[in-house]
Amino acid sequence: MPSATTLTAENLSKSFSGPPLFRGLSMSVRGGLVAVAGRNGSGKTTLLRILAGLARPTSGRVVLERAGRALPDPERRLAVGWSSPDLELYGELSGEENLRFFRRAAGRPEPLEESRRRLREVGLAEEAIGRRVEELSTGMRQRLRLAFATLFDPDVLLLDEPANGLDVEGRAVLATIVERARRRGAVVIASNDERDLAGADERVELDVSRKP
Amino acid sequence: MAAVVAAAFLWPEPAKGFLGESSRIVFFHVPCAWTSSLAFVVAAAYSLAYLIRRNPWHDEVAHSAVRIGLLFGVLTLITGSLFASIMWGTWWNWDPRESSYLLLVFLYAAYLFLRAAIDDPERRARIAAAYALFGAVIMPFLVFVAPRVTASLHPQTVINPQGKILMDTPTRVVFFDALAAFSGLFLWMLSLDARAARAERRAKG
Amino acid sequence: MSEEKADSRTTAHGSRLTAHGSALSSVLAVAAKDATAELRRRTALVAVLFFAVTALALVSFAIGPFGLPADDRPPVQAALLWIILFFAAATGLPRAFAHEEETGTALALRKTLPAARVLAGKALFNFGLFLAIAAVTVPGFGVLLEASFGSPAGLAATVLAGGYGLAVVSTFLSALSARAGQRHVLFVLIAFPLLSPLLLTAISATVEALRGGFPGTALRVLIAYDGAATCAAYLLAAVAWEE
Repeated sequence: MPSATTLTAENLSKSFSGPPLFRGLSMSVRGGLVAVAGRNGSGKTTLLRILAGLARPTSGRVVLERAGRALPDPERRLAVGWSSPDLELYGELSGEENLRFFRRAAGRPEPLEESRRRLREVGLAEEAIGRRVEELSTGMRQRLRLAFATLFDPDVLLLDEPANGLDVEGRAVLATIVERARRRGAVVIASNDERDLAGADERVELDVSRKP
Repeated sequence: MAAVVAAAFLWPEPAKGFLGESSRIVFFHVPCAWTSSLAFVVAAAYSLAYLIRRNPWHDEVAHSAVRIGLLFGVLTLITGSLFASIMWGTWWNWDPRESSYLLLVFLYAAYLFLRAAIDDPERRARIAAAYALFGAVIMPFLVFVAPRVTASLHPQTVINPQGKILMDTPTRVVFFDALAAFSGLFLWMLSLDARAARAERRAKG
Repeated sequence: MSEEKADSRTTAHGSRLTAHGSALSSVLAVAAKDATAELRRRTALVAVLFFAVTALALVSFAIGPFGLPADDRPPVQAALLWIILFFAAATGLPRAFAHEEETGTALALRKTLPAARVLAGKALFNFGLFLAIAAVTVPGFGVLLEASFGSPAGLAATVLAGGYGLAVVSTFLSALSARAGQRHVLFVLIAFPLLSPLLLTAISATVEALRGGFPGTALRVLIAYDGAATCAAYLLAAVAWEE
């Protein structure tokens, strides 16, 4: 049952002070797995942030539509899930408290069993209850990031370097999440590592767009 | 402008009730105050325009307006202080209207500090615009409420409660010409400064 | 997926009610989260209360020996009270946003919530923090500076109305300056001109209250200021805290 949600980028360009990171970039994320590849510094993180609504492009725009109509604000935020190495959660709270806070803050509180189910799905159940995030290891934090990205069961999932710090089990968890998200709607993965981009339905190369 | 300055000293007779020639200061002090308030309105309006259109030119105009407004604000305080020293013998009186102008000058300076503290040009323009608009909402409290709540030493304003203009013809002519001249000066300086800023931005690419 | 079906079933009226209800619960959730995190971390709370106590002690040592005549005391006490409250607030309130930026959690928050709700939640938390400061400082004035609280109701109303405005403006300005350089100095510089009408009015209201009168006019001005600041902060929230 793939969703009817599409994320479209029209003619995006982004420059900080200096030459543009990318120019005239257009893409349409409709379903399946989209790979975003490029070397370090090619703008993958920035592109994903722009798609997630966390950064403004220098020109161009991003449109999120469901069944042909643009989504109004509260749904728009939650219809796109995002994770990145820059994403940090609240260190003083436990993983469970973090997830429950974001659900409540978004106006979508859920029962305790649901939060625990999400944590189990990323393999964190025991650690996340009662231990503060600041006490978790890198790999566990990365799993928590994935739980955050999928917290609202989004139609479009944007993952920036999702396998960072994950062990073998963590990678298996990631693969499950990606498969499920792919069947549900669309997934965009940005990574340096070709293993993460294997089996993609579409591919966006960032260094190429940079050439005049 | 030069004609106004000359006329200010030669034409009208000094107003009654003021010491010596000091009443002539009204031709300079009030227009400076008027101009710096005008600058504020311009800055707020262009800040709003920037937030709507995100056109860097609007931000440049707002920035220039604040800089020039600061200049005229300081001149207002200096001319006011000169007048006070002649009339009452002290340079500063903590009169509410004086103090509220001092705070307005601080507000302009704060805007400039805020700009200086942000490196990214887009963010700087946006944050400065937000500050200017927030300041615009608070400004009425600064300028109008405080002086009304407490009694004031300040001479009766031109726009007084009766709504009539209590000046004789020569004074009135010079006064309003002064207002016009200062406004013109402000707009001219604004245009120059903002265009210089735009040229600099374009040169940097 | 089941949640989506639930959403589509609500009527237009129902969803508007839900929207208001969820806005309030969002705001409360943010404030509660900040409070929980702060109670576990305690850095801001300790810093701010320590500052208030130190300033209070300093002021008592400095003014105590002078023995001002009873009638001259209220203006001095009122001014000192609000100066301490302002600087204590400047020490503690901006951390609400600064901490989010420093630890990197701002991204998650920005992703999930509209700026106005974040601002409202943090302003609520900051108001609570202010009340904690006032709870220490005001009685402190009574004890150490022998301030006589002529009209306790007037004083309480002034502290509440003034504190609310202080919290809202400080929260908004800390959102603006959260990613600027020289943050601590910058905050005081940009806050002072905007807060001066509030502080001056609050001081004059406090003087009246200490002398035994209920400062009706001044309170009206404070409430008007609070209203204006709230509207402006709400409208400009997204601009102050986007990207």
